[in-house]
Amino acid sequence: MTTAVGNLSIAIQRRFGRQRLRKIILGSIPFAVMIAIWHANTVFDWLPPVFIPPIGDVWEAIFFLQEDCAGFVALVMLDNSCLITTHVFSSVGRVILAAIVGLPLGIAFGILCGMSRTLSKFLEPVGVFANSISGIAWIPLAIVWFGVGWVTTLFIMLNTIFWLMFFNSMLGVRSVAKVYEESVLTMGGSRWDVIKQVYLPGAMPSIITGMRMSMGFGWRALIAAEMIGGDSGLGFMIFTSAAEFKIEEVFLGVIFISIIFMATDKYLLAPLEKWTVERWGLVWRPT
Amino acid sequence: MNSMTPKLVVEGLTHYYPDEYTGESVHALEDINLELYEGELVSVVGPSGCGKSTLLNILAGLLPYKIGTASVDGNVIHGPGPDRGVVFQEHAILPWRTVAKNIGHGLEIRKVPQAEREKRVQEFIDLVGLTGFEEKFPHELSGGMKQRCQVARTLCADPVVMLMDEPFAAVDAQTRITLQEELNRIAMATHKTILFITHSVEEAAFLADRCLVFSARPGRLKEIVEIGIPREQRNWTAMNDNAIFIAARDRILASVREEVSIAVEE
Ligand SMILES: Nc1ncnc2c1ncn2[C@@H]1O[C@H](COP(=O)(O)OP(=O)(O)OP(=O)(O)O)[C@@H](O)[C@H]1O
Ligand SMILES: [Mg+2]
Repeated sequence: MTTAVGNLSIAIQRRFGRQRLRKIILGSIPFAVMIAIWHANTVFDWLPPVFIPPIGDVWEAIFFLQEDCAGFVALVMLDNSCLITTHVFSSVGRVILAAIVGLPLGIAFGILCGMSRTLSKFLEPVGVFANSISGIAWIPLAIVWFGVGWVTTLFIMLNTIFWLMFFNSMLGVRSVAKVYEESVLTMGGSRWDVIKQVYLPGAMPSIITGMRMSMGFGWRALIAAEMIGGDSGLGFMIFTSAAEFKIEEVFLGVIFISIIFMATDKYLLAPLEKWTVERWGLVWRPT
Repeated sequence: MNSMTPKLVVEGLTHYYPDEYTGESVHALEDINLELYEGELVSVVGPSGCGKSTLLNILAGLLPYKIGTASVDGNVIHGPGPDRGVVFQEHAILPWRTVAKNIGHGLEIRKVPQAEREKRVQEFIDLVGLTGFEEKFPHELSGGMKQRCQVARTLCADPVVMLMDEPFAAVDAQTRITLQEELNRIAMATHKTILFITHSVEEAAFLADRCLVFSARPGRLKEIVEIGIPREQRNWTAMNDNAIFIAARDRILASVREEVSIAVEE
């Protein structure tokens, strides 16, 4: 019996690697504790279900919200009958759209400003101004300009992503050692070669930090924008459900947001970091 | 005769660094004249701050100059170009490129087809003894290997002249000796025209066909010492009791010492 358990444990350790397993287990403990307390609350009746719903209710809310969904086509078309998928997809869709537009633009302008003193004198003050008014402070104005709906939420998110990305890329380019640029120029490289082969990879540590920050602050701004100035999305769902005292739907929305956010970081940004910055030895790693 | 046309010509080169804040300027170089012939390795020594790096940066096209002329193969130098390859003192190979990609970088910029590029790259990887490290990234190499990689990168781009600014200053003494012997072997094998800046008199005497001694700032060409030792005979064991080497080294040393004392008195 003990050997069977031992063998299993060795097999698991082989499969995941000792260090990774340690990381997974240590990282899960706080969540496990939270879930345990949550469940205990229901069992021992500490706080009434209007404040904290039973775990089962939150789970069932998924199916309840999706109940009227008229098949796959309706789901993909973001039909109002498929509530949960429609809200999730419209939030995620806006994040993807804002990332596709905002990240490259921010990186491009950031690199240009990092290279050119004149351009940075021109754009940096605007950037500082834009950053001083945090993303969500634009919501009232955006509602006046664009009304309630997806344009407002997209604007808020783009505004957040662009400036964070801009500043991080600019600082990244400025931190690249001049000798790399000189070495490419002395091999006959053009300005464009220098941008592609020196500034962009050299600024990568900052660019990835910028992406992490933009996605983090961008998600928060989006949720806030959806609450006040949106007509769909997880933020909108949380807000309207709370107004109707459907506490389990609020919980569901919050859990979805965290899961999606954690997944983006783990499956998109962390691998990007591993594949670039870490492989090139540009990060300090504890030994 | 073609071999008598110099590859690199510098005439009356004088340089001042302007100081934006005080309005005064630093006089770094004064009336430098020199010629480098094909296949020659010329070293430049002089006290610290005498303008050696200034000269190299001007020749590399990284520092604009106003007084005098400098030209390579008859073309006046305006800005950097692939006809002049530079080996920098710092580790200048790109951390985000593998050894092979760093060495092939010059050819890649010139859009040399991949098959030919790979062949040439392998040749230079073997020449500098980095075989087996093709796919490694620079942070996985030792300091000496990084400099070998940089030398190979410059050679592989096949410049008309190679400019080296204290390339071995940052490695340990043992590695430096190996690198010096390797450079001698490479100079023999590739017959490159090389301008080699160093603050080490021993290094200059060991490597150079001619050694230019610079005066204290503003740098002037003070003395030229010819070192007529065939490249095949140059290795450190033989040099220790080679009369020509010892005479040249002592001559250069005395000349530099004089200048250093002037520089210190100032
Ligand atoms: N960018 C610069 N701006 C102003 N002055 C400079 C600049 N670079 C160098 N100088 C000055 O020009 C003089 C020559 O400098 P240079 O770097 O050419 O000396 P060097 O001979 O290479 O010295 P070392 O052996 O220490 O490397 C020095 O007095 C230095 O202070
Ligand atoms: Mg110098």
